[in-house]
Amino acid sequence: MLSRIADSLFWIARYMERAEDTARILDVNYHMLLEQPVTSYRLRWDQLVTITGEQERFFQCYQEADARNVFEFLAFRRDNPNSIVECVSNVRENARTIRDRISREMWEEVNGLYHTVSRFLPEEEMNVGPHRFCNLIKFGSHRLHGVSDDTLPHDEGWQFLQAGRALERAEMTARIVDLEYQKLVEGPETAGAPDNHQWMAVLLSVAAYESYRRQYHSRIEPQRVAELLILHPLHPRSIRFNVGVVQQSLRAISAGGSSAGPEAYANEAERLTGKLHESLMYDRIEDIFSRGLHRFLVDLQKTCRAIGEQIARTYFYYGVVA
Amino acid sequence: MGAARPLLYYRLLSPQTEESRGRLFRGYDPGPFYDEMFLPDGQARPHYARMFRELDSMAPEQFEERRQLADLSFLLQGITFTVYSDGRGTERLFPFDLIPRILPASDWDRIERGLSQRVIALNLFLQDIYGAQRILKDRRLPRSLIYSCGHFRREMIGVQVPGGIYTHVAGIDLVRDSRTGEFLVLEDNVRTPSGISYVLENRLVMTRTFPYAFHEHPVRPVDHYPTELCQILRSLSPRGGDAPAIVLLTPGIYNSAYFEHSFLAQQMGIELVEGRDLIVDGEVVYMKTIHGLMRVDVVYRRIDDDYLDPLAFRPDSLLGVPGLMGAYRAGNVALANALGNGVADDKAIYAYVPEFIRYYLGEEPVLRNVETYLCSRPKDLAHVLDHLPELVVKAVGESGGYGMLMGPTADRATIAEFRDRLQDNPRNYIAQPVVPLSRVPSYDPRNAAIAGRHVDLRPYCLFNGEKVVIVPGGLTRVALQPGSLVVNSSQGGGSKDTWVLGGDL
Repeated sequence: MLSRIADSLFWIARYMERAEDTARILDVNYHMLLEQPVTSYRLRWDQLVTITGEQERFFQCYQEADARNVFEFLAFRRDNPNSIVECVSNVRENARTIRDRISREMWEEVNGLYHTVSRFLPEEEMNVGPHRFCNLIKFGSHRLHGVSDDTLPHDEGWQFLQAGRALERAEMTARIVDLEYQKLVEGPETAGAPDNHQWMAVLLSVAAYESYRRQYHSRIEPQRVAELLILHPLHPRSIRFNVGVVQQSLRAISAGGSSAGPEAYANEAERLTGKLHESLMYDRIEDIFSRGLHRFLVDLQKTCRAIGEQIARTYFYYGVVA
Repeated sequence: MGAARPLLYYRLLSPQTEESRGRLFRGYDPGPFYDEMFLPDGQARPHYARMFRELDSMAPEQFEERRQLADLSFLLQGITFTVYSDGRGTERLFPFDLIPRILPASDWDRIERGLSQRVIALNLFLQDIYGAQRILKDRRLPRSLIYSCGHFRREMIGVQVPGGIYTHVAGIDLVRDSRTGEFLVLEDNVRTPSGISYVLENRLVMTRTFPYAFHEHPVRPVDHYPTELCQILRSLSPRGGDAPAIVLLTPGIYNSAYFEHSFLAQQMGIELVEGRDLIVDGEVVYMKTIHGLMRVDVVYRRIDDDYLDPLAFRPDSLLGVPGLMGAYRAGNVALANALGNGVADDKAIYAYVPEFIRYYLGEEPVLRNVETYLCSRPKDLAHVLDHLPELVVKAVGESGGYGMLMGPTADRATIAEFRDRLQDNPRNYIAQPVVPLSRVPSYDPRNAAIAGRHVDLRPYCLFNGEKVVIVPGGLTRVALQPGSLVVNSSQGGGSKDTWVLGGDL
């Protein structure tokens, strides 16, 4: 498989996941925030932008973080490289360069989503609220994964899709948990019962609300939410689950790449992933909290970025002429 | 466009009623042209009779609906080309006209014989001109014409190309002259002719849009093209073996034919590569894969000669592969089409192709050329300068409708400008009388009715060293602007599905 094609597949999955996660965060929080007391209004809208890491760019575009501006910025702004429409455009641009290597069904799904998104009128959507738009993105993403799984051979290329999606999701989940938890410690007056509301939003935004209810049968407690989102072995949105997927995919890609035996790692990306997965498997949530959740999540995001860089270095870039 | 309207929503109108009859063809005027559907007396030609009945009984609303369905299908499949006029890049559909161009078996037999002969002669000419140059020694072609040709590649003299094949793929443009009803050759394209993907996609969309019409017509299939091309590419591998590594080299997604490149690569199951995916080491071509370098045997290149190798040709080219020419000359990689083919489709050389057929094959050409004046001949130049407003002037090395003067429609300033250009560089131009192209009924959405529009025909010929394989039909390009004779997509042209009938109706 050409390196360029592997690179594109990896980024198709990452951008689609980024668009979906942003749509989820926007959709859930938008409606939750409308029910919040006015005093904390600005602060909270602000934080939605922080999750995507684009505060600086946001305040270059807008004076104030309110519902309208945040929605427009996260969903429609073409000058925000992480806005939903830009992510969808990037998915499609990447798909276009390798459309001979993906299935016709997959291409038509991506292309159809792009054209549909392009036809949305931001002004009109801002009046009706983000639900319709966000829903379209979520289901577009689900369809793309379904179509890919059902029409592509599950070969190396497909593994790059898996790795890209799981890595993006792990990092995004880490950001969401980190931000919500910071709010909890920073604002003591918001701690306690009312925050149920906020943590419920977190669970909803990563599609883990029903799982939580079934697992814990209790009111929503931050520590348990964190446990579910970070350490759950089987929930497809937990960090541990996704790091596991990255690890499996990288092993499938390098199959036989290491001569040191089946458990050995073939490259730096695999070593970092394996090490991270190991700690997620054996750490308890109490251990993580006692060492500091924020610190843990910041380090985890750094490791995710390093894994991404190492994947690129191993498989995508030919720096040296043969 | 309403925001929540699902893109895939459509409904089909109820079948036609008696009142709809004749509405699509209201006011149809064949004009002073050869009409491919109607005889001069207004009757439908026998091979078009069923199609005419079908269309004539259809309501315009019904036709319009199918047209939108076809357009949507092209949009969703991403069969678009990009226009970069507004800085953001907007995508346009290549206009598709739903009314097929139908050719009876007898017309096609003649075309097929004529094209086979022509392609074989062009290939023999290229072998000769980059080899012994007999035709020059025998003085059947002026030496000066070759050495003044911008696309003649001295680097290719003496190079043994695999199988002696230069013109693996040729697209020969034909027109039907309204005055005689005869098919004439308008130009040869033996470098990197494009458009075959539209032939295949047009057919696919037609079978979805008018499925029942295919039950009533014995339409010959076209979908074996990728298999035939792939066979030829496989046979070129310098290493032999069962599984040669074949790639299609594209300039990338910003090229207007990118859709075609990815389409063909996918259909043939070969790798689509850009210049940056390849590397040459020790006169061997490799592609960069996730598990290291992998040797490449055959390159079906869709990049022009000039951009193929910055070491050999244009040093500023970022599209090509440094060292590719060296690997080719060393016989370690095969290229299709061969390098230097531009000398055979130069528009001044074109005038000599009937002579090539006589000289190399000892046969009379089945298909005639359009009468052509070579401005390099002083007598021809004088005639051309005297008759500019009646002629079409073309630059010899250009294609796609660029560098052209349409005398009858040009303004005075443009004619004056061409007059200067012709005198400055006569070798660079030829002139031809305006051929009144035949017309095919086509749908005009502005008034929801059918009117005659001029067409040409580009069949795609594959040459495997022994015989020429031509998928029945080819690309019918249609000038959708009323009265226009220019069919190029860059100038408002569209296309039609082309049906060659396997037997009589």
